[in-house]
Amino acid sequence: MRSRYPKADVLAQRGHWDDATREVVLDRVHNVPRFAFFKPHEQATLIALSDRVLPQAQREPDRRVPIAPRIDQSCGTGKLEGFRFDNMPPLADAWRRGLQGLDQTAEALHGADFCDLDGARQDEVLQSIRAGSPPGEVWQHLPAQRWWIYIALRQIAGVYYAHPYAWDEIGFGGPAYPRGYFALNHGAPEPWEPREAGVEQ
Amino acid sequence: MKLHVHLSSDWILDTEMREYRPRETVDFCIVGTGAGGGVLAQRLARAGFSVVALEAGQWHDSERDMVSDEAGSARLYWNDLRITGGADPLELGANNSGKGVGGSTVHYAGFCPRLHPSDFHVRTRDGVAADWPISYEEIEPYYAQMEREYPVSGPARFPWGKPHGYPYAPLQAGTAGQMLIQGCTRLGIPVVAGGPVAIPAGRFGKRPHCIMRGFCLLGCKVGAKSSIHLSHIPDAIANGAEIRTGCMAREIPTDESGRATGVRYYRTLENGHVLEEEQRARAVIVAGYAIETPRLLLNSKSGRFPDGLANSSGIVGKHLMAQAGPVVWGRFAEPIRQYKAPPACACSEEFYETDPHNDFVRGYALQTVAPLPIAMAHLLVDETGCFGEELLRKMQDYNHYAAIGVLGEILPDPRNRVTIHPTATDQLGISVPYVQFSLFENDKRMMAAGIARARHVLGAAGATETHFVPRFAHLVGTCRMGFTPRDSVVDRWCRSWDVPNLLICDGSVLVTQGSANPALTISALAARTADWLRRAVPAGELAARPAGRQAAAQRQSVEAV
Repeated sequence: MRSRYPKADVLAQRGHWDDATREVVLDRVHNVPRFAFFKPHEQATLIALSDRVLPQAQREPDRRVPIAPRIDQSCGTGKLEGFRFDNMPPLADAWRRGLQGLDQTAEALHGADFCDLDGARQDEVLQSIRAGSPPGEVWQHLPAQRWWIYIALRQIAGVYYAHPYAWDEIGFGGPAYPRGYFALNHGAPEPWEPREAGVEQ
Repeated sequence: MKLHVHLSSDWILDTEMREYRPRETVDFCIVGTGAGGGVLAQRLARAGFSVVALEAGQWHDSERDMVSDEAGSARLYWNDLRITGGADPLELGANNSGKGVGGSTVHYAGFCPRLHPSDFHVRTRDGVAADWPISYEEIEPYYAQMEREYPVSGPARFPWGKPHGYPYAPLQAGTAGQMLIQGCTRLGIPVVAGGPVAIPAGRFGKRPHCIMRGFCLLGCKVGAKSSIHLSHIPDAIANGAEIRTGCMAREIPTDESGRATGVRYYRTLENGHVLEEEQRARAVIVAGYAIETPRLLLNSKSGRFPDGLANSSGIVGKHLMAQAGPVVWGRFAEPIRQYKAPPACACSEEFYETDPHNDFVRGYALQTVAPLPIAMAHLLVDETGCFGEELLRKMQDYNHYAAIGVLGEILPDPRNRVTIHPTATDQLGISVPYVQFSLFENDKRMMAAGIARARHVLGAAGATETHFVPRFAHLVGTCRMGFTPRDSVVDRWCRSWDVPNLLICDGSVLVTQGSANPALTISALAARTADWLRRAVPAGELAARPAGRQAAAQRQSVEAV
């Protein structure tokens, strides 16, 4: 996909951010956690899933957003989420069982583990989960659609769109304290913000 | 103890705070420091009472703890475990409950409308829900007080409910907010610019003016948005109140005469060590919001109060109301850049009241909202479960979306409730709340109408396509006030019918919720209760249980509980 904001580089503005925000965002960019929670096969499944939910193959390798290690981290540290559905297990358990479910569905549809399928077949597995009644014993106990939206999609998208490289892709201005914004009308960019190719001068 | 907390970019709360020993009996122990508890602490300390307010969270230092970043702001929320169920289970934590001094007012958008006069008589007018034991006129002077104290900016004339004007001028709307104004105007729907929102257009005391950064929902680092930890807590401390942080209330003990003796709580020290303490008090006020308040009462069981404290009616935890908050967004050909300027900047309450042409009673408001990237991605995946190139492409349109929040009145129903989960406990070992919530027919029809209206408005503003996702906001109603001990948990002054020196003063006492964000109403009720306490305590009124108003109760037909 061609970038709509070819000159975007929100990190170049970091000198205009406050210290606390800069620390949080740069830590996210530079300190990628090691896997500590998921076992190697689960890691492979999670990485394969993340690659289908938010494909990054067209990005330069050093401009890809690490997703799976962040999810591993939130499972391993027992991060509190504020709530749990009464028909869902706790977060880490929901991830583990869901990844197992991906393999069961992949096995039923294509006779192989999820991470060993090609992209098109992986998408078929995911479409089956999205539709709500995928094959696989795990999904008899784990509500598939709820897992898909609340565990898989929300968390993967949450990690991805927390990253400055993803902000560049969508033209988001990023942290804005203490400088603030001045251009408020007609959706105009600030002097330092990227222009959208083909739409803005 | 010495406090040193940044409240805004150039205001440090650098002061000595009075501390009480837990065994010392204070006049009031308040649980919670949000829109209710914070105002009570300030009013009661000013009136000369000794006050300790327990806060489960910490101070949010605006320079150190608040960041211009969605993913980095989780500490603002009440993230402790809660179990959620029902046909339409509520997501809890992030957008509907706060932790830390100031409560959820730290991360609210700041919309501060009043209720309408009709809200207080829904049973009489529409035959549903229940009437309040007070009228709009009784709370009106306190609305005016709070609008000056928060303060609230808005139009010079707000035409809905009982028309009134705002003491501060509105801020400029960003492009996203202008779409609501544009769409409504083209359709001939009355609309107002300027909230009403708790952000003044200029500097207010030690608080700088807004810099239009658009991160209101992640805590205002600037200190321009009013939150209770800015507007009332510093004055509470200056008048001798203690704000005791890191203290999670777990039980309200009572003596042999059935009076509350104080609050038992777990105090987490900076080194992580947890102490069990009990603050003794002549009166206790619970202000923990609509989930934690009933949780604390239901967890305070004893031989004398086997079903929990203040629960002789059996309705503590019942009539939980969320507000319908579907987000409707449109795609525009021109850039919008919705992340700029405060999300709360314009609204229409034209559809707030019962309209006999509708197939439902009561109504909804239309308000501006402006999801940041993660929130937008969550809307997109919630809508259809999309992923891959489709999700990337839709998110690439981020700068072309403008959104409207439909804030709708869900009616109270005893089946929507907070109970104690039979097995689950939190990190301190306290039994957690189990929240069950389902929409009923009137709610569904109202939401469908609100969504259709918002899509129409966005279309009129120029959107080429519109989308929506059902959402919920604000939690109220689990300890409703009423006319008698049989039909309610507290009386018209927010005093428990069962325990003479126990008050409940937060969103849980709301009988109905209208289509108004609840913070201002909660604070106005707290100021009113504080005024009453200033007279009632010296007059000895907390010595005995309140008497119900039987005559009034006979007029009131209350649904089965």
